[in-house]
Amino acid sequence: MLFLKECKKVLFSLTFVIYCITALAMYFTQFHGDIGAPLEAPAPGRDDYGMTAKEIPELLMPEAVWSLITEYYSGSFTAYPYGFIKHVKLTEKQKARMEEIILEVSGLTMQELEAHEYFKIPEDLTYEHFRELMREADKIIGGGSKYGDNFIVGNFSYVPKTYEDALLEYEQFLYEDKITGAYARLYCDYLGIIVSVLPVFVAAALANRDKKSRMEQLIFARKISSVKLIFTRFFSLTAIMLTPVVITAVIAQIKVNSIYPNGTMDSFALFKYAAFWLVPNIMAASAVGMLITEIASGLLAIFIQGVWWITSISAATSGLTGRIGKFTLIMRHNSLMGYDAFFDRWENIVFNRIFFTVVSILGIALTAFIYEQKRKGVFNVLFKINFQNSKRQSKA
Amino acid sequence: MSYLRSTFRILSVNLKHNFIPHLLIALVIAFMTQVLSGITALNTREAAQPLERMLSLTGIVLLTPIFLPEQNENIRDLIRSKRTDYLAVCVIRLLYSILFLAVIIGFFTYMMLCRESNVTIEHFVGGFASALFLGALGFFFAGLTQNTITGYMVSAIYYIANYSLKDELKNFYLFSMSAGSFTEKYWLLGGSVVIFAVTFFLLKYSRK
Repeated sequence: MLFLKECKKVLFSLTFVIYCITALAMYFTQFHGDIGAPLEAPAPGRDDYGMTAKEIPELLMPEAVWSLITEYYSGSFTAYPYGFIKHVKLTEKQKARMEEIILEVSGLTMQELEAHEYFKIPEDLTYEHFRELMREADKIIGGGSKYGDNFIVGNFSYVPKTYEDALLEYEQFLYEDKITGAYARLYCDYLGIIVSVLPVFVAAALANRDKKSRMEQLIFARKISSVKLIFTRFFSLTAIMLTPVVITAVIAQIKVNSIYPNGTMDSFALFKYAAFWLVPNIMAASAVGMLITEIASGLLAIFIQGVWWITSISAATSGLTGRIGKFTLIMRHNSLMGYDAFFDRWENIVFNRIFFTVVSILGIALTAFIYEQKRKGVFNVLFKINFQNSKRQSKA
Repeated sequence: MSYLRSTFRILSVNLKHNFIPHLLIALVIAFMTQVLSGITALNTREAAQPLERMLSLTGIVLLTPIFLPEQNENIRDLIRSKRTDYLAVCVIRLLYSILFLAVIIGFFTYMMLCRESNVTIEHFVGGFASALFLGALGFFFAGLTQNTITGYMVSAIYYIANYSLKDELKNFYLFSMSAGSFTEKYWLLGGSVVIFAVTFFLLKYSRK
């Protein structure tokens, strides 16, 4: 049976062995070792329950304006558009608009601003309009600044947690997440880093194997349809690359059970989260590997997936909980808490995972089409024609 | 003279037929580094970030595919039938790849200097050391397994490990300059030289 044959090919490939070792190492070094002790209910009367970002306009507005004025005086604005620091200097036109924004949110006149006078938020400035102006300031800076929607609350409205806040979080952990849900998110957070990039190597190596062992022409001559062959390869790749995920999920489930022997748990949460969170990542990286290797080369496939991975992971480093967008490749939620922060973005998350699944399948359909054209010799002829044309043009 | 002439011929043929795609990708990475991360008015630590976290990837792209041409069995058979030692060809490829790596990182560091970033020669050496070590790892595994994709994969895994295993990697931590330490760079440079030597040694004796 073709599916089993393809599975065997993946299973005994060197790149898959390396992938497995890395996934296991990631699991044991990052997740397994760090979850030894059970989370305890917060005790009342403590001085410190940690900090939390809460949107409190009276706190946020003056802090943000103060920061904006300070950066304006210094002549450069700090931003992290792709996770890396950037010091942005504005053009004269941008500077003029930024001055207008500062004057509007601070209530100062130009003379007062230049004289470094104290400001007071104007009473007629609504919070909604203030946020609009901050969004505009962020856009002028080029995105990724402290004033954008993703960062403004975390930067300027960070407050100490109360006992009630801490208790609510703990109750969500027990009753909404049923313990394992929270651990499943943390588990997927770590494994997602690996499975969103390494499958591209396995896929590219397998696609290269036929070329290297000179089997391509033999397969081209076989009766099997290109759609069946390519989709079988894709599903066998995805299935086999799930193996370390399933193994580590079972180990994680046993570990969590041992930490909370009397806890009421959802015994399938780890598997449900892994299927929903990690499978689209494996599919996307495999699809990129298969498609780009078929069109150009394995090197280009690795490069493209690598760039996608780095930009995604770098953008995520500025917020590891509750910042999952519709097109975020690597979903991060590096905490056992933050149930609300995660489910506040639930629509984004569902869209995101469906989007990557559908795009992967479309990518594989395109791979099958290209493969079929190669079998017919059309794809190669197209390349030859273009090449000859360009040679003629260059001679002319 | 004939030795020099054949070296020059190997150099020109390899540069023309094997090196250009990898060089182009390395240049794209350098270009993307300055788009994704700012290179203007950075302080000493901030300036280390683009060099260590992004530009170091050029080491993987330039040094891992040294053995790539011979993965095509027809070319491998042809090369081994020639009088010139195959490993000598690989040494020449390695040397010019390292040279281009140094030029790319050097030029990038100079660009940062021109954009008022606080960079010194240490930034160049530090960025180069991280890139060289990543490349050396890829070179080692690609050479040993005769599979370039394995080389890319191991280097990439090592790079990823640096995001979360700083304490475990100790002297071989790639992003040390961003954390304010330069000592690791000597280890990375020394480690790279050892890896290159071990690879050639193993290849030489495994073929006999």
